[in-house]
Amino acid sequence: MKKILLIVMVVFTAQLTLAQVKTIKGLVTDSKGMPLPAANVVVKGESNGTSTNFDGGFSIEAKTGATLVISYLGYETKSVVVGESATINVQMTESGSTALSEVVVTSLGIKKSKKSLTYSAQELKSEELVRAKDPNLMNTVAGKIAGVAVTKSAGGSGGSTKVTIRGNSSTTNNNPLYVVDGVPMLNISSIQPNDSFGSTQGGNRDGGDVVGLLNPDDYEGMTVLKGASATALYGSQGARGVVLLTSKKAKEGVSSFRVSSNTTVETAAYLPKFQTSYIAKPGADESWGAAQATHDHTRDFFETGVTQISSFGFSTGSTNSATNVSYANTSANGVLPTNSLSKNNFNVRQMGKFFGDRLTVNANVSYTSQYVTNRPTSGLYFNPLTGLYLMPRGNDFENYKNNFEKFDPSRNMMVQNWMTDRDIEQNPYWGLKRNESKDGNQFFNGSAGLNYKVNNWLSIGSRYNYDRVTSEFNKEIYATTQGTLSHPNGRYINITDVSSQNYADLIATINTNINPDITFFANVGGSFLKTSINDETVLDSDPSGLGIANWFTLHNFNSNTGNYQNYGYRREQQSVFAATTFGYKNMLYLDITGRNDWSSTLANTGNLSFFYPSAGLTALLSEMFTMPESISFGKVRASFAQVGNDVPAFYTSPTSNYTAANPQNINPTVGPRPGTNLKPESQDSYELGTEWRFVNNKFGIELTYYNNKTKDQLLTIPAPATNAEGYQNYAYNGGVIKNSGIEVLLNAKIIDNDKFKWDATVNYSKNSNEVSGLPEELGGTVILTQPGVNSYRYSLINGRPFGVIEGINFKKDAQGRILLNADGSFQKTDFEEVGNANPDFMLGFSNSFKYHNFFLNFTIDGRFGGDVMSLTEAVNDQFGVSKATGDARAAGGVVVNAVYPDGKAYAGKYPAESYYSQVGGRAGISGEYVYNATNVSMRELAFGYTFDLKNNKFLKSANLSLVGRNLFFFYKDAPFDPNISLSTGNGLQGIDVYAAPSTRSIGLNLNVTF
Amino acid sequence: MILNKIKTTAIYASLLAAVSCTSDFNEINTNPTGITAKELEQDFNHVKVPFSTVFTGVFNTTHWKYQLQQNLNADIWSGYMATPTPFKGAAGDNSNYNYVDGWNGFIWSLPYTDVMANTLKIEQRTKGKYDQFYAISLILKVEAMHRVTDVFGPIVYSQFGTTNTTIPYDSQEEVYTKMFSELDFAVAELTKRVNAGEASTFVSTDMTAYAGDYKQWVKYANSLRLRLAMRLVKIKPALAKTEAEKAISQTFGVMATNADICKVIIPNFIDPILTISSAWGDIRMSADMESIMNGYSDPRLAKYFNTSADFPGQFRGVRTGINMIAKSDRTGMSEIGSIVGSNEKVFMTTAEVYFLRAEGALRGWNMGGTAQALYEAGITASFAQHGVSGAAAYIADNVKMAKDFVDVKDAANNAAAVNKVTVAWDAAATNEVKLQKIITQKWIANFPEGQEAWSEYRRTGYPKLFRIIHNTSGGTITTEFGPRRVNFVQSEKDGNPGGVATGLSKLGGPDNGGTRLWWDTTGANF
Repeated sequence: MKKILLIVMVVFTAQLTLAQVKTIKGLVTDSKGMPLPAANVVVKGESNGTSTNFDGGFSIEAKTGATLVISYLGYETKSVVVGESATINVQMTESGSTALSEVVVTSLGIKKSKKSLTYSAQELKSEELVRAKDPNLMNTVAGKIAGVAVTKSAGGSGGSTKVTIRGNSSTTNNNPLYVVDGVPMLNISSIQPNDSFGSTQGGNRDGGDVVGLLNPDDYEGMTVLKGASATALYGSQGARGVVLLTSKKAKEGVSSFRVSSNTTVETAAYLPKFQTSYIAKPGADESWGAAQATHDHTRDFFETGVTQISSFGFSTGSTNSATNVSYANTSANGVLPTNSLSKNNFNVRQMGKFFGDRLTVNANVSYTSQYVTNRPTSGLYFNPLTGLYLMPRGNDFENYKNNFEKFDPSRNMMVQNWMTDRDIEQNPYWGLKRNESKDGNQFFNGSAGLNYKVNNWLSIGSRYNYDRVTSEFNKEIYATTQGTLSHPNGRYINITDVSSQNYADLIATINTNINPDITFFANVGGSFLKTSINDETVLDSDPSGLGIANWFTLHNFNSNTGNYQNYGYRREQQSVFAATTFGYKNMLYLDITGRNDWSSTLANTGNLSFFYPSAGLTALLSEMFTMPESISFGKVRASFAQVGNDVPAFYTSPTSNYTAANPQNINPTVGPRPGTNLKPESQDSYELGTEWRFVNNKFGIELTYYNNKTKDQLLTIPAPATNAEGYQNYAYNGGVIKNSGIEVLLNAKIIDNDKFKWDATVNYSKNSNEVSGLPEELGGTVILTQPGVNSYRYSLINGRPFGVIEGINFKKDAQGRILLNADGSFQKTDFEEVGNANPDFMLGFSNSFKYHNFFLNFTIDGRFGGDVMSLTEAVNDQFGVSKATGDARAAGGVVVNAVYPDGKAYAGKYPAESYYSQVGGRAGISGEYVYNATNVSMRELAFGYTFDLKNNKFLKSANLSLVGRNLFFFYKDAPFDPNISLSTGNGLQGIDVYAAPSTRSIGLNLNVTF
Repeated sequence: MILNKIKTTAIYASLLAAVSCTSDFNEINTNPTGITAKELEQDFNHVKVPFSTVFTGVFNTTHWKYQLQQNLNADIWSGYMATPTPFKGAAGDNSNYNYVDGWNGFIWSLPYTDVMANTLKIEQRTKGKYDQFYAISLILKVEAMHRVTDVFGPIVYSQFGTTNTTIPYDSQEEVYTKMFSELDFAVAELTKRVNAGEASTFVSTDMTAYAGDYKQWVKYANSLRLRLAMRLVKIKPALAKTEAEKAISQTFGVMATNADICKVIIPNFIDPILTISSAWGDIRMSADMESIMNGYSDPRLAKYFNTSADFPGQFRGVRTGINMIAKSDRTGMSEIGSIVGSNEKVFMTTAEVYFLRAEGALRGWNMGGTAQALYEAGITASFAQHGVSGAAAYIADNVKMAKDFVDVKDAANNAAAVNKVTVAWDAAATNEVKLQKIITQKWIANFPEGQEAWSEYRRTGYPKLFRIIHNTSGGTITTEFGPRRVNFVQSEKDGNPGGVATGLSKLGGPDNGGTRLWWDTTGANF
């Protein structure tokens, strides 16, 4: 850091010798009036020069009569003679190339010209986020950015979204950092499942995330910074990539009012297939009885969902101020009966300029409130789908729908009406109506920022931002809910989580020319970040129950045993950083950054601080060498970065705690493994890239190769029950995760004339990762999701990619024959690898057509390779309700190639019931339920019309479109949508356990600007 | 001038770091809803809290944990209870000797995290300073862990708490030897304090009915020694006799009245068996209990079980290991009764101690009484414990015997009675028959502690139990002999594979449920 400061100082000494005559101020813009940052401004014949700042402004000393020469790559150079006026505004004309003029938002919200970046950054314009809206805006990114995997949660509307950039690189957290206007946003979820069975405390719940609470209409675009070098300025938080959102700002002299309305209908798609030929034996839970035709009731259960998103935005801008106000309302009914969502977004943004533009003040307040009734759960508990799918066939589902409760004279109340008493299945309608859950999420964000322009090359800014998220979960469980899930008098669960984040920074921005050939840009500053996550209060009447049946209030709890407080984590991080960019003749750029963090989570480790640097170099070949006419742009870049990642909070200061899982044993849940000292994870990464554009920018290609290695992974492993401290888990550093891959982005303006335009973009990414260095004494394995009593385990294994799906297989001999026991039952293996959750590569193909006023856009999203396991199918098989079991019975059994211990081959067909009761089920031979996750889908489609409003004084623009999301699969192997994940956390991937079915949505979208 | 500004900028930036302070990092990094080790030392809670976890951890007080720790294994294999639930359909589960590893892992893990880890903490915090606490913790540790070694055989015991990555297993013989020596220390330490007239400092920590009385703890330790000694009677007869006589002859002797019963009293306690039986419908009276206790018209029946919902006024059981179609077929059989309706959990009964002494006397050991007198005293103590009358008539009954079992749902499960002995002592009978009577009565008296009953069933073969019908163990466990142990657990194979290897070498057989433990020899009882 000191060295960087020294360089900065030396550079500026050079400037002190400059003559000072008269200060000229001005603005350099492109032909559309957009500011051009980093344009060169020099006084002809002198060495005096500067470059424009990121709002296109400049300030230079020159004598009257001198000539200012303004140049900008890709634009025609302009000369202006200095007159009496102290202001000179220059509008530049493009010289044909746009690659040189693109501006992207980078770390800390700073705009940079894209050509100078030494790393990969991909942008999405606002229209990509709102064209076919989804309640969670991250879902609209799917398939559009190379290297970014977007997986929807099983939580339906208002559920969270798992975003993984360039593969999983960490054992603790693989979610990217979200940044709004340069300030880190708190994106947390109050709860994510990590148990394939499901919690008795309300089921496997997805608490929803914060990014899903944002209003996509508030943002003018998104930039995804993929590599560590792009994110060094955010430190640990940015190590898994950064998603930058830039809010819409009012334009000077423009007042507008935008209205958009989006209505879509959703239908459940990709349901399991069921048999309709066999019923259950009288009283049996499983449908292994006589042959009798039945009606498949499962289709009738799901409803048509409707989602309506209405959004209003006002903005007005003057010379000295700008105001944006927006409001959006989302209301949705899910495909699951009774599931509904209501969301309201408010946002006010204000900007003002003072002291002749020297001081800019920004303030922003936004508030989102979301309520969800009966958010879909996964797993086997509190999930209406288990009862729906597993109901013993031969029963009249319609009757159980209309009479989900019946009067019980002995209790003088209504009780559940269902034919079986089994923890994993209840009457689905009882579950929805008498186990109703309500989720509430409130997100408040307030920020204020000051920026003071000290002089033409230095400005100092400071920002403060506060985020607060409150999540509530309320579940009223009526008496006679199944006994494992509830006390006989009912159960009341009320959980509140509060999270907050304080962020403050002070950053000096330096932007100048060292001499006419060398530009210099730097951010030097410090930041403070304090987060407090999921400060939680749990009120739960179980296990001691309610005193008076169905009175859902704290005072009615029989005892306090189930109530407790818990704290997710708390962390304070203080940082100083510097980022510099040297530019030479607009053709060579050198980035050097450095950051030092002090983190509270490193308490008791002996070293509270860690430093990490990055460096990058870009060369614009097309500027350095004379290229053939057909090459409009050529660039190569290389970068190297280190990023540290501190340890999770509380790990190094273990305390005794009450936990729901272990109420009578308060021993710490996790502590450092004896004899080890925790330290930050560290990632070394390098990236090479090249970008080319051809034939007047009609065709473009961008190639990136990256390689990163994250070592000292923080591993949390179940401590042997035999450990001395009674820790449930040990944490220690060990293990390395390597990721390497390539990303290819192809752009083509295939047809480009006044009437018809066709743009196409293909993005391809391939990531390979490998885990190594896990301790051999643990068998080189670390389990991320414990199997519990199910045959699914999710693990890290040395020499294998991150996220191995483990299960149980048939034991087979060398000839591939299944080994039988003497009694004819199947021999099973221990847990072993049966699949891998990672795709081999991803391919996205986006097309945009315009013909007169019509437009058509579609995105095809492909994920190739990887596996998923379905415990849904396994349990459906065990219960004899799946189509496979019906077919097997019809065929007289299952064909098996099996052999007895004495070498005798199994003769005939294996009886279906015996086969599926051994192979199926959640604890069965799960290797038989692994499917290829490869799928190609029509992710997004919009067909619309833009109204011609040239002569309309009232309306500025209007368009109407028919939009669709997740319309169909071109190819899919799995019996369900494999792009749905049970958790956005690290565990529980590549598995389906009664997740709500994926939906297909079709709707209308209207946008009007006044 | 510009240089100055740069300096100022740099200073500002560095100020932000310098001014801010990292001294409160430790506090920030501490979970505010937790309690630190230092804070726990107040009121000696760093000793009391581990004790409380131990008291509630021997038999786990959380319903689902107890279900997996004991109810779906030993409580069933002992012949006490049976489940009406076909958990795994036709593939079968523990009841069919097709072990469910996901369940059985808890038999191992719970006592380690709840008992061993906490007794180690108590040892670290009290040994040499407050040896009375250490002594009592050792008694509780033996109580908890003999149950574990009697399930698995070799276990982690003497090496517990080492920070080595591999924690070796002790052989079962080594475990028993260490347990005897731990009881030696505890008895000597507490006896010394009683003799010195020292007031108990354990009163507020003690969750048992002993209320901190050291003398009672000594009696309990002696009784536990007697139980352990008897277990070794076939493999180490001389040691068994020595240890048993040592227990009887100790100054304070063994438990003799029902006031001596070792039981924990837990506020807000709901016996997990009650929840599993009444709320979940997952456990019922067994066919064996029905056959034997109905056969004897045992007055304790109404305390142990509720009458059947399907057969009002009758006590009806479920046979284990049968072909089941629907859970609802047999949830109407007898639930577990008021014995699991209190806030007390019994560790060891006085009746059991009498039956142990009776067997010792039968074997010619000096047990302070004749086999018959001690046998009858055991029955009397058990009747008194449950507040039922008629012990004398019961003891004198030389007619009633176990009844045949009839399954109204499926006649294939009907069975003729197998445990054909009467209650009345018959001096002329063979030792084998006498032993069968003693163990049968001990079996009844010890209900619902299935773990001890299963161990004694394995050691003696009594009471004779109905065989299962649907054995899906894949040939590892015979229908004739039933489960002899449980295989080592997945969490150890994952977390301590080197240790499991040492356990396997000390086991002396394949790691499955059919391999007999060290004390479980195939030799005759006499």
